[in-house]
Amino acid sequence: MSFWEKAKKNKVLKNTLFFLAMLGPGVITGSVDNDAGGITTYSVAAATYGYPILWTLLPSFIVLLVVQEMNMRMGACTGKGLADLIRENFGVKVTFWIFLGLLVADIGNTATEFAGVAGSMNIFGISKYISVPVTAGAVWILVTKGNYKISERIFLMFSVALLSYIVSALAAKPDWHQVGLAFIHPQIQYDKDYLIMVLGIVGTTIAPWMQFYMQSAVIEKGTTMEDYKLALADVVIGCVATVAVAIFIMVACAATLHVNNITINEAKDAALALKPFAGALASAVFAFGLFVASIFSATILPLATAFYICEAFGFNAGIDKRVEEAPQFYTLFAAILIIACVIILIPNAPLIAITLWTQDINAMLLPVVLISMQLMVNNPEIMGEHVNNKFQNAVGWSTTVILITLTLLLMVLPAFDLFKAH
Amino acid sequence: MPTRQGRHQPLNMKLFLYFSQVIGLDIMDAQGQWIGRLHDIAMNPYADIYPKASDLIIRRGSSSKEYARVNWEDIVYIENNIRLKIMGDRLKFSKEIPRSDFTLRRDIFDQQVVDIDDQRVVRVNDIHLLRVENQLYAAHVDVGLRGIFRRLGWTGMVDLIVFLINSKSPYLTNEELIPWKATQVLPKLGRMKSVLKLEVAKNKLGSIPPAALADIIQGLDIFVRVSMFKSMESALQNKVFTDMTLTCKAELVEQLSEAESANLITNIPADEATDLLMKLPREKAHHLMGLLGSETNKKLRKLLGYAKDSAGGLMTTEYLYLKADATVADAFNKIRENINFPGTIFFFYIVDDDHKYLGTTSLRRFFNENPQTLLIDICYPENIHVYTDDSVEQVALLLERYKSSSIPVLNHQDILQGIITIDDVMEELISLVWHKYKEKL
Repeated sequence: MSFWEKAKKNKVLKNTLFFLAMLGPGVITGSVDNDAGGITTYSVAAATYGYPILWTLLPSFIVLLVVQEMNMRMGACTGKGLADLIRENFGVKVTFWIFLGLLVADIGNTATEFAGVAGSMNIFGISKYISVPVTAGAVWILVTKGNYKISERIFLMFSVALLSYIVSALAAKPDWHQVGLAFIHPQIQYDKDYLIMVLGIVGTTIAPWMQFYMQSAVIEKGTTMEDYKLALADVVIGCVATVAVAIFIMVACAATLHVNNITINEAKDAALALKPFAGALASAVFAFGLFVASIFSATILPLATAFYICEAFGFNAGIDKRVEEAPQFYTLFAAILIIACVIILIPNAPLIAITLWTQDINAMLLPVVLISMQLMVNNPEIMGEHVNNKFQNAVGWSTTVILITLTLLLMVLPAFDLFKAH
Repeated sequence: MPTRQGRHQPLNMKLFLYFSQVIGLDIMDAQGQWIGRLHDIAMNPYADIYPKASDLIIRRGSSSKEYARVNWEDIVYIENNIRLKIMGDRLKFSKEIPRSDFTLRRDIFDQQVVDIDDQRVVRVNDIHLLRVENQLYAAHVDVGLRGIFRRLGWTGMVDLIVFLINSKSPYLTNEELIPWKATQVLPKLGRMKSVLKLEVAKNKLGSIPPAALADIIQGLDIFVRVSMFKSMESALQNKVFTDMTLTCKAELVEQLSEAESANLITNIPADEATDLLMKLPREKAHHLMGLLGSETNKKLRKLLGYAKDSAGGLMTTEYLYLKADATVADAFNKIRENINFPGTIFFFYIVDDDHKYLGTTSLRRFFNENPQTLLIDICYPENIHVYTDDSVEQVALLLERYKSSSIPVLNHQDILQGIITIDDVMEELISLVWHKYKEKL
């Protein structure tokens, strides 16, 4: 009797296997979420403010959970992608502007990922003029020539890379008592820089493109409302994993950089600065994590963006299609990849300005996407009996309103700063 | 076709209108009083070759919207606004959109449809309306880029830019219009399975070969797939279902009722049915087996007992056999009786009273023989067969060596268990080859 047959006989084991088979969309989306931009924000925040800023991950977790649950439910209920639903319910104009914004923001996001590749490889002594084009080439080959098996292996590698942050955090010998205290007794500062940092952390945890990706992944998996409980468990595990990894990154930085009063601007600075305090291993492992997270997101982001745009406007899309069959899809994918690379390779490119602009566009898109989602998830023509109940609506709308307020603040605050400077 | 008029030409001069140009038009009552905007047009799909407009749906209010229905006969004209013959106070506005079987905005505009000619799923950017004597007909659906730019209101600007870059660009003259008769509307129902209203586009699917139709259906969202599948006649359903991939079959069965699934399983070739049952969760498969007729059940149980890549797993139990004393005339009668038989009717397997295998003959061999000749005397000279536990490679090798398209499968007591036809082997070999090919990548 083979292992699988034995497993099928045993009820507990059978349920566990079934559950593992259901894992996927939530966990993958959560992992892609901890990309170069996320790692940068977490490290900079922890280096600047130390353990006390850890509490921000708690609201991030709730927001992430609420939004992803809605995406999962919409996907399971309609069998349609978010791009499809927006196009079918709000028409061409709304769709066009959302996707124009998404395209620009994702080019910026992809550039950030390549900055992560350049930064992490720099630590291992490889010039960005080699690492970035090679990585982009690898991404192109993986997508056009790859298959599911290879992608799966790469995903596994990525998961291992996330574990590397645990190593970094443990090597930093953190004060766990203080870590716990940060969650139980949050100490909040009320100055502007602190507020921007808090918004940055919540904002990096929930980016507009994730909603599109999440819903497509749910459909790809074939999840329906009968699987709701398991799919919900997947979402919860994904959110917990995302936030747990964020905690380890922040703990590693807080225990070393903040304690020694070192401030940083980039994730690679964190990797470099870790060396004297936590050892060469922790530093290398941190850089490796950054590299893999960047390359993973640099693959998923352009691919996903090209896919939603084609989906919404009715072009052929998908990596199982040949280039002649889906010209718009491959053109978009190549364009996003190339533009993002070129931005990084330009000497003295204004990387910080690009990052800020990308954040602003994301911030403007988020309310539009969230309101669209709220309207559709409450529409019985779309959701049938699975529209939001009162509790879901209360949590959903308040999350939407809070996020919109936060993002508006994020956009307005730098303007005040300019105001004061003059 | 007058498709490139300027925006300001009065609409009443045009033979063709776009839906995007009439949607949102102001609606005036008999005294010229504004009463609302055009929200949607309900169509009567049975009127002519083309669906014909039957009602206007009017919308008013911005924060709390209200809707009313106006019969097409009550329209004076459609120009840059729509003038009605009746007074505004005769209209009953309500918060609910009046229900119609088939409307342009809800069912076509921005939705996915099947292009029957090119056999692909496309998204509708606009609808091309034909106007004849104040009646509107849906003539084409627009799936091109021009449609998107028209919706954005950029036609003029984009035309100018394209013209400056390349005055001969196909973009300027090519409208991607699909004629209505080649457009299959997809049900937009999501989970609400009860509201099936697919008569609208009945039977256009019949002209697509089942294999191509199976491909199209597999590309659709799962719920649309289910509704579209349910709208087909059962004969077409069986053919399309047979041509689907195993994964797709399993997904579909999960969504169909058990009676429907059992019916499909009974009507597809037994070997395909076995593969499907093996793919389904164990409990579901058991349940479905219980619902099958005892004949089918017996056949499938036999097949389910063999390893998937062995001759036993590959074979079908649907074959024509005759006893050793049967003549050519008997064989012809058997063919006539089984003209709708799902398995092959070209080969006959001769067995004794214990179903022990004696030989194979084919239509080609006995077609010109005397009706009284015994079939056993005109069997193939070589006695080729495989055993239930032989591998698929062995089966392929024998078929190739003897240039045969089917082979009998025996158990070790030489009792005939089933036959394997070359298409079953091809399927298995293709997936084997494909796995090896993928390993290499």
